Amino acid sequence: MTAQQGQAIQPAPELTAPRPPAADAVIRAEALTKRYGAVTALDKLTVAVPAGITGLVGANGAGKSTLVKILLGLLEPSDGRAAVLDQDCARAGQRIRTLTGYMPEHDCLPADVTATEFVTHLGRMSGLPPTAAKERAADSLRHVGLYEERYRQIGTYSTGMKQRVKLAQALVGDPKLLLLDEPTNGLDPAGRSAMLELVERIGNVFGISILVASHLLGEVEQICDHLVAIEAGKLLRADTVRSVTRASRALVIEVEEGTELLRDELLRRGLAVAVEGRGVTVGLAGDQTFDVVRDAVAELGLPLNRMEQRRHRLEELFSGDQPAAGVTSGGAGDVR
Amino acid sequence: MSAEITAAGAAANGAGVIHDIGYQAYDGPRLGRAQIMLALGWHSLKSAFGIGRGAKAKIVPVFTFAVMCAPAVVNAIQLAVTGTHTRVVPYDTYRPVALRVLVLLIFLAAQAPEVVSRDLRSHVLPLYFARPIRRADYPLAKLAAFVAACLVLIEVPLLVLYVGTVTQVRTGSAVWSETRALIPGLLLGAAWAAVAAALGLLFASFSSRRAYATGSVAIFFFLTWTLALLLTSIGEHAFGPGLQQPSALARLAGLISPFTALDGMRQWLGGTSPGPVPDPGGYGALYGIAVLAFLLAGAGGLLLRYRKVGVA
Ligand SMILES: Nc1ncnc2c1ncn2[C@@H]1O[C@H](COP(=O)(O)OP(=O)(O)OP(=O)(O)O)[C@@H](O)[C@H]1O
Ligand SMILES: [Mg+2]
Repeated sequence: MTAQQGQAIQPAPELTAPRPPAADAVIRAEALTKRYGAVTALDKLTVAVPAGITGLVGANGAGKSTLVKILLGLLEPSDGRAAVLDQDCARAGQRIRTLTGYMPEHDCLPADVTATEFVTHLGRMSGLPPTAAKERAADSLRHVGLYEERYRQIGTYSTGMKQRVKLAQALVGDPKLLLLDEPTNGLDPAGRSAMLELVERIGNVFGISILVASHLLGEVEQICDHLVAIEAGKLLRADTVRSVTRASRALVIEVEEGTELLRDELLRRGLAVAVEGRGVTVGLAGDQTFDVVRDAVAELGLPLNRMEQRRHRLEELFSGDQPAAGVTSGGAGDVR
Repeated sequence: MSAEITAAGAAANGAGVIHDIGYQAYDGPRLGRAQIMLALGWHSLKSAFGIGRGAKAKIVPVFTFAVMCAPAVVNAIQLAVTGTHTRVVPYDTYRPVALRVLVLLIFLAAQAPEVVSRDLRSHVLPLYFARPIRRADYPLAKLAAFVAACLVLIEVPLLVLYVGTVTQVRTGSAVWSETRALIPGLLLGAAWAAVAAALGLLFASFSSRRAYATGSVAIFFFLTWTLALLLTSIGEHAFGPGLQQPSALARLAGLISPFTALDGMRQWLGGTSPGPVPDPGGYGALYGIAVLAFLLAGAGGLLLRYRKVGVA
């Protein structure tokens, strides 16, 4: 437990930089940089993504889609290198695109063809012969849960069904790796969990490695083995979901009065503390944190209103730092 | 083997919303880039004729094709009824020239958007570019398909004309001379198809909105054609009826429109049937260059267009 706290407190660069890329990495980026004029979408990003399901998380504009497009060879990086399935993105784009399925974040479906026709055609475009394309299109659509509806025009579909068609077309070419850009885009909570369940099955049961981009950590951490967090094109952290989320819980304590007193007492006892409104937030390193807090409250004799566990906001989660004053305010930043 | 997985999947997924039918990897043959382009081209060619679309999508292709065949059919009937052996429609200009231009214009304006604008409108291009082809392969396959579509529209009526004629003429030498007249007609038709398809697709590819795409194609071909004819007639008459030779203006005006440029090139190459523009005389080579320029501008512009097109 103590070891984990130590790890969580370290700033991000030390956490990630010296770690050698895993030998079995499906995706590797080295000092990958992408500039759009004055905007730097990716800033010397170095990361290795292992096999399995990996979440690519970051706020809007963090550079998730840019990274995915570079990996597919849809965009050229301004600097640095990337490799997918041990193929260099700059030189072996075609080979990579044979092995990879891509689900874009935006709408990309024609309204006036049926899902069967559409996925079959894109199966052909993936290099499948006619009969195989037909069979695999039918299979892919069944895998994503479209049965009789697949003979209907896509224009008549709900958003959830459209997302499934987008997933099916990524799956049709039998990829070794799927790049899914915000697969839950536009879905309601039920649709989201159904989509996540689907992605999880494709990863775990079908055995296809998946990189799933999302701005919702709470969403991807349910289904991912690994997380890669980026912010403003820079790597915040890359680690297993388990170690990221375990080291990143916070405890909120609200007392009727004496907030300042409590803060000082907790600081004295060696906890990282932030005050927000009437509450005090401490980083939750393990069970002993509860004991420390309880002791402190008891010793000061303060009337305890509330004490609850909560997640940090995305950015601070990954920065590995203890919460700074103000950032955890308001609960609106909670990822769940 | 899949039955086992099915059972396991069904058990694991109690909700039963999505039935796991067991994933099967694909280890059959994979087609290369050339064959994928061929598949895309074939798909596009079919869509240029509304095949695989609803009945409404077939109206314009069927109508234009029927009208384009009309002179050839009239020729066949006339020869059969009157018993004469002289073809009434030339192979190289396929008179009336205005009919050919008008029909082609309608086909281009209606079907070029079908081939390129639909994909732009539905933002499906990232899905193509995420597949094992190169960026330029998409416009090349589309161009090849649309040239083929225009070839069908232009050359099949010529073949109907040929068949309608040779079934009437009796002598082997007459058949031979018909065939010799047909070949330049077919070659010129190919030039028409290539130029029309390249420029038609280029103009259509600027807009994802079908109406705008149709409008820009129609306006480009119609405006340049009308302007060329207008300037030609000004050039022929402005200098008085006494003038025996067409003026330089009349000889050069045809350069500004693809279809008149094609006709000028025909006359430069030795075509003798009267066309929409006068014999360019010493300016003939310019018409050859103009046709080439139209073709390169269309094809090159299309490639550039798809290099720039966004993938988001
Ligand atoms: N074509 C472009 N031209 C200029 N700037 C761009 C372009 N595409 C992306 N950007 C900028 O690059 C940055 C990263 O964009 P990107 O789309 O990769 O972010 P993202 O993490 O996918 O965000 P979101 O969650 O909104 O999808 C943003 O600041 C964005 O404005
Ligand atoms: Mg994005």
